Amino acid sequence: MSILLSLAVLLFQEASDGRFAQMMRGVRGPDLSKFLVIGALLFIIGVAGVLTRRNIIVIFMSIELILNAANLNFIAFSRHLQETGSVNAYAGQVFTVFVIVVAAAEAAIGLGIVIALYRNKETIWVDEIDLLKW
Amino acid sequence: MNLSGWEAFFFWFFGLAAVFAGLLTVMARNAVHSALFLISSLVSVAALFVLAQAEFIAGVQILVYVGGVMVLFLFVIMLVNVGAEEQGRSEIFNRPRQVTASLIFCFLLVAGVLFAINTGYPELQKRAAAQTANPADAERYSSLPVGATGVSRLTDQTETVGGILYRYGSLPFEIASVLLLVAIIGSVMLARTLKQEVSADDVDPDVLQEEVREHPEVAEVEVSS
Repeated sequence: MSILLSLAVLLFQEASDGRFAQMMRGVRGPDLSKFLVIGALLFIIGVAGVLTRRNIIVIFMSIELILNAANLNFIAFSRHLQETGSVNAYAGQVFTVFVIVVAAAEAAIGLGIVIALYRNKETIWVDEIDLLKW
Repeated sequence: MNLSGWEAFFFWFFGLAAVFAGLLTVMARNAVHSALFLISSLVSVAALFVLAQAEFIAGVQILVYVGGVMVLFLFVIMLVNVGAEEQGRSEIFNRPRQVTASLIFCFLLVAGVLFAINTGYPELQKRAAAQTANPADAERYSSLPVGATGVSRLTDQTETVGGILYRYGSLPFEIASVLLLVAIIGSVMLARTLKQEVSADDVDPDVLQEEVREHPEVAEVEVSS
């Protein structure tokens, strides 16, 4: 019991200025790296969706998720550069506008392809769309 | 950039909401549920944009993605039949071997990204610390008009982004408009039915004869037009 108690005390002492305290400081004041972590998680979820799902529409949605993760990174770096006083700090936001435009065009074309495909092959499962596979 | 107080709380709230909604997008069985979870993920990311002081982009995100693209997605989901998936009769994920391979790939990606952030970030932070905050910025901020709540000030971010967009990005801007036009025409062409193609009279005669043999209902359109 006393060993456990002393361990807890040790842990607490370690926490006051150790890695845990550093982590808590990061949680209380999120900075650029936290934005990047959220963006990376969204990106990886999107990649996993593209690679594992069978429904082609959900695959398109996962691509939107990937593009959004990229947008989040652009915006976070734009903010970071605004604070450090870079010359062209707003380029990230302008680029994000173009990413959104391309995403909209891509969704329109992709869904047109899905409709044409469904009309001809009667399927939306990607493992059944193997016309080009040999 | 250091968020603090309620900003930090809202950062974690919306960040975790975006990640969880993204996970549910990928894992939901019903495609309509996927679309709704994706909408909530996109709205959470828009809130993160507001926290990073990109109000214009947040507005564009909600208008274009949630208002335009996601409605298009929902229309297409309604047009194609997904009954078997909803009732749990068919597998939603690909074959196990492919899923394992892709998950290994994703794990490598996670490791790579975390390594990159861990090694690259301290350097970035050092550089940010070396540059002292610009005193003109604080002065400019205090000269901005106060918002209706009296807590924050109305920023001029949208004005700045618009100015930069036309000053440095006017050529890509025009190209983007051409891209959107091409996308409209392309999707209209792709989504046409055979009947519509016949009535527009742009099918090769040989192909048309073959199609008429297979689908007699196409011939009626041809006769009537």
